[in-house]
Amino acid sequence: MSMFEDIPVEVGVVYEGERIRKSDLHAELGGPNVEQKFELVRVKNDNEIKDQEIKIVGPDISEIEEGSSIPFGILIEVAGKQLEEELEGVIERRIHEYTNYIEGFMHLNQRYDIWCRVSKKSVKKGLESFEIIGKVLLRLFKNELPFIDSMQITFLTDKNKVGEIWEDAVKIYETRDARARKLTDNDVTEFYGCDLCQSFAPTHVCTITPQRYANCGAISWFDGRAASKIDPKGPIYKIEKGECIDPVKGEYSGINENAKKKSLGEINKVWLYTSFGYPHTSCGCFEAIAFYIPEVDGLGIVHRDFKERTVNGLPFSTMADSAAGGRQVDGFHGLSIEYMRSPKFLQVDGGWDRVAWIPKSVKERLKDFIPSEIINKIPTEEEVKNLDELKEFLKTNQHPVVGRWKEALPEVEIPTGEEISIEAPMPAIGIPTTGGGFKIILKGAKIQAKKVIIKAPKKGS
Amino acid sequence: MKKRNIELDIKEMKTGFGLMKDIKLSVGGISEKTADQQLGPTPFPSSTDLREWDMKLLERYKPFYMPFCDLCCLCTFGKCDLSDGKRGACGLNMEAQQSRIVLIACCIGAATHTAHGRHLVEDLIKKFGRKSALDVGGTNVEILAPIIQLVTGIKPRHLGDIEDILDYVEGEITQLLSSTHTGQEGSNIDFESKVLHAGTMDHVALEIADIAQISTFGFPKSDPEAALVDTGLGVVDSSKPVIMVVGHNVPPAIGIMDYMTEKDLSGQLEVCGLCCTAHDITRYDPKAKIVGPISWQLRFIRSGIPDVIVVDEQCIRADAFEEAKKIKAPVIASSSKNCLGLKDRTKDPTDEIVADLIQGKALGVLILDPDKVGEVAVRTSLGIAPKRKKFKNLPELDELILEAKRCTKCSECRRSCPNDMLIPEAIDAAAGGDLSLLNDLYDVCVGCGRCEEACPNDLDVHSFIVKAAEQKIKNEKFKTRSGRGAIQDVEIRKVGGPIVLGEIPGVIAHVGCANYPKGGEEVAEMIEEFAKRRYIILTSGCAAMSAGMHKNEDGKTVYESFPGDFDAGCVLNVGSCVSNSHIAGAAIKIASIFAKRNLNANYEEIADYILNRVGAVGISWGAMSQKAASIASGFWRLGIPVIVGPHGSKYRRMLLGRKDRDSDWEVYDARTGERDYVGPSPEHLFYAAETKEEAMVMMAKLCMRPNDTSRGRAMKLNHYIDLHKRYYGRMPDDIHLYVRRLSDVPITMKDEIVRILDQKEWKEKNIPDPTILPRMIRKKER
Repeated sequence: MSMFEDIPVEVGVVYEGERIRKSDLHAELGGPNVEQKFELVRVKNDNEIKDQEIKIVGPDISEIEEGSSIPFGILIEVAGKQLEEELEGVIERRIHEYTNYIEGFMHLNQRYDIWCRVSKKSVKKGLESFEIIGKVLLRLFKNELPFIDSMQITFLTDKNKVGEIWEDAVKIYETRDARARKLTDNDVTEFYGCDLCQSFAPTHVCTITPQRYANCGAISWFDGRAASKIDPKGPIYKIEKGECIDPVKGEYSGINENAKKKSLGEINKVWLYTSFGYPHTSCGCFEAIAFYIPEVDGLGIVHRDFKERTVNGLPFSTMADSAAGGRQVDGFHGLSIEYMRSPKFLQVDGGWDRVAWIPKSVKERLKDFIPSEIINKIPTEEEVKNLDELKEFLKTNQHPVVGRWKEALPEVEIPTGEEISIEAPMPAIGIPTTGGGFKIILKGAKIQAKKVIIKAPKKGS
Repeated sequence: MKKRNIELDIKEMKTGFGLMKDIKLSVGGISEKTADQQLGPTPFPSSTDLREWDMKLLERYKPFYMPFCDLCCLCTFGKCDLSDGKRGACGLNMEAQQSRIVLIACCIGAATHTAHGRHLVEDLIKKFGRKSALDVGGTNVEILAPIIQLVTGIKPRHLGDIEDILDYVEGEITQLLSSTHTGQEGSNIDFESKVLHAGTMDHVALEIADIAQISTFGFPKSDPEAALVDTGLGVVDSSKPVIMVVGHNVPPAIGIMDYMTEKDLSGQLEVCGLCCTAHDITRYDPKAKIVGPISWQLRFIRSGIPDVIVVDEQCIRADAFEEAKKIKAPVIASSSKNCLGLKDRTKDPTDEIVADLIQGKALGVLILDPDKVGEVAVRTSLGIAPKRKKFKNLPELDELILEAKRCTKCSECRRSCPNDMLIPEAIDAAAGGDLSLLNDLYDVCVGCGRCEEACPNDLDVHSFIVKAAEQKIKNEKFKTRSGRGAIQDVEIRKVGGPIVLGEIPGVIAHVGCANYPKGGEEVAEMIEEFAKRRYIILTSGCAAMSAGMHKNEDGKTVYESFPGDFDAGCVLNVGSCVSNSHIAGAAIKIASIFAKRNLNANYEEIADYILNRVGAVGISWGAMSQKAASIASGFWRLGIPVIVGPHGSKYRRMLLGRKDRDSDWEVYDARTGERDYVGPSPEHLFYAAETKEEAMVMMAKLCMRPNDTSRGRAMKLNHYIDLHKRYYGRMPDDIHLYVRRLSDVPITMKDEIVRILDQKEWKEKNIPDPTILPRMIRKKER
């Protein structure tokens, strides 16, 4: 017998992408037409929970007027020895996934923004009560998240009751977010590693800390914590932090050991908060890259959706190619957008003070996180188109990197027409050089060559 | 690679740094190199350079022969009967003979694309020059010729760079074809290895042709929002002069569009295409229209709508000229490969040719100059359209009924029908005045016309079908997204995350011809099913049009229902047959983009990567041609399985894995060097499915790969089991082979599957870093 034999509609991953259109709409729960809606998970003590209980406060599915939109809330209370408040958010996000498995139930968005629909077709098949949705959720949650010992679910459709809890819920989300943002790498004893990308990039080792989100932007430290508890042998695992070797660079003995083990000795040292020396490796699916611009001794940032050429003349695709493949590439560094919101963001290199160029859309997204004294000094594609304009802009606006030029610039001379091999902290691989050109010198009278190879610097330089 | 010899004699040279005398410089070849290029082990491989890799594949995916014919009649010793283990006069046995025929077919296919590429590149060089830059996707495509780079080690940047590569491919195909001569290769497995090599050559040729035309003709450059193009017989405005272009080589059709633009005639004529030229002309100008795949040739001509018919090359009915004569539409042949017995008028004055065609002094001409074809076609159609008045070759209703009464019910038509359609019943009903059965046949008919050839009473059976469906044809109005070309590097990066997180279960490509058993509707249905399941769907060639020629419940085609990105739940048309190179190219690029594997002349390593990691499957539901055979071979060698429809079994052999033999499914763990059982993933390389339902279950199954993350595997298993249950009514019997850890089990099926695992005494397995190449094992640093 299958897990959902007694459920009148199908339950399966197949229905995840199902959309319910107006013509097949029985009712809309939450969504843009109602102000108050929420989904909330709370961790409680075991004695506060009546395991397996499903309560419905307000009209049930079959009682809702066809075609209407009503206020809606899902409150899930859980208890378990291993459970902690930190995991509430992670459990909460599964509501989206699991409810969507139900044929004829659509769930969009999260938290105070949920938008659900029930289809006429499924109601006709028997999906008449939240009781059924509750049963599916109970089974999936308890099956998938073994650290949940007991669980009760309340569905709310009564306007007043939804409103009451909604007010609490909004406060809880805020507190939760504030706490998450305050959590630093110092506050925890464990980090998390993720092997998922190793299936395509076998030497990439991803480290996830409270202040350094995974490169893909999809896994937070909290997600990592939950995942490693759910499946300790799974691809997301605990890394004991070990000794803090360098708090500024973000070097930890535990991370180094893990990187060495997972990369089979190819990566032995990782500095979390820098683009230079021993940066975090980059897989292939990072959201953005930080790239060194030697001409101004600053860093540029470009994200995947930026279609034009960046200020150094190279597009994202070219620079991403230099960074990818699970290697440590000095000066080219894959990262997530979320990491740019972290106070540790490239702190060794100067953080935002070192960022000399950024696409406008990224700037817009991060405007509340970029320090106000620097935000107007960082140009985007709108202000500058090339390196000369960049230099000029930085100078005029007194960008902090200008201060570095006097000391550093005379030495940053890029040889042309030769192999480039400079030790860290100057980028060694795939560095975009200016100038270029070649010389052919002919001496003597007779030259015979089976083949002449003309080496030119990389495209776009 | 052909060396470009440069000899330079300098008697005296004054330079800024001194004077030089009697300098003799001879250079074998010049190449440009960037700092990051390193050459892999197999630049410009001969067939034996990759033989070891082929043997690895053929050992696991053993050829399973299904002789289409027991005899060999290729030399005068024969005919030789090779059945029951007999050898022929030359000593060849049945297996070798079958694989030899497959090799011949693949050589024909590869030669066709290569010749197409050569023709195109020559035309383009003449027009745009050798220095014309190659560009298929601007800043979003860093790797613009992944197949060429992988095979040859060369990264072409300009049109002129690909001439050398064509030289190489032409040479290899000659070598391969020569091995099929009597008394050459004797081993079936070696023939099979050569088949794979022919496939690789074919893929190089495809890429050459498409990147050349995309770069120069201004086709969509990797554009997810390429235009939606009018498709179907019903979209053609027959009140205007209509030019029909058919084939696979677009320059003559472009000549037509250009001449119309030049003379400000746009909008006054209809230019509509069939087969791949239709794709490529709409990539050039989305105002052109797509009539349909090869199956639509006969019905479109007989409808009388085309006023002028321009044929180029490949997949054109050999009787196109004969059919055109019946509707009094002049034919312009434009390719050296398909002259149709017509007089070469290339050098004649245009006015003269046009006058001859309009006055009927010439019923057809051969013009081997695409621009001239353009002018002649346009002017002729303007002149002849008022005279022809859409003269058609279809019976009137009463005639049809009268004719149908002549049927003697011998059933020869049905016997000769490749899809065993119930023609006699339909004709019988028609004789009684009921055309509904004939009308139904229209939807499933592949338009081959064999029924007419077979009819002892000379009934125009195909015309009857088309006539009966007249009303339906008028409503045949669809949309196909114009071929967008390459997949952006950036798009591949974006799907990396969702793939490892299990949100995208696989990549499915619907490619190839239109010889499907139950109509193109099935292609559209398969696409819709998998797009809804969030697979990434690619289409190309006739399959891409077929997919566009069906509307769902909401009255929308798949191209209107799903976005054209390379992403979950999207449906993107790469373009014509030569655009198949972008599908292989995307798989190749994954290795470079995520693992930074070297692409240059590094075939084995990349194919190993794809076989073990990239969950892609090709499906050619109506595969018909030799080209389809060579395209498929190129995919097999890269480790990408291909499913064909029931007619595909006529390709004479399948490449089938044996899931009952555990040792076939062991790979090395590149981290440790240990061998791990990874289950039959992917189970087959070449598989013919009898029904759409069987194909869909197999598609889901063949997306599994040894490297799948648990979440990815759970998702893939979920779709496999769900489809299997839906179409076979029960659980598949091999789930235990695909579950490596309990976390692989789809969450909504846990109880059920765990019980099966217990019954099968299942044990947890390692998920390795998979490779079948011992040299890929990474040594631990001491």
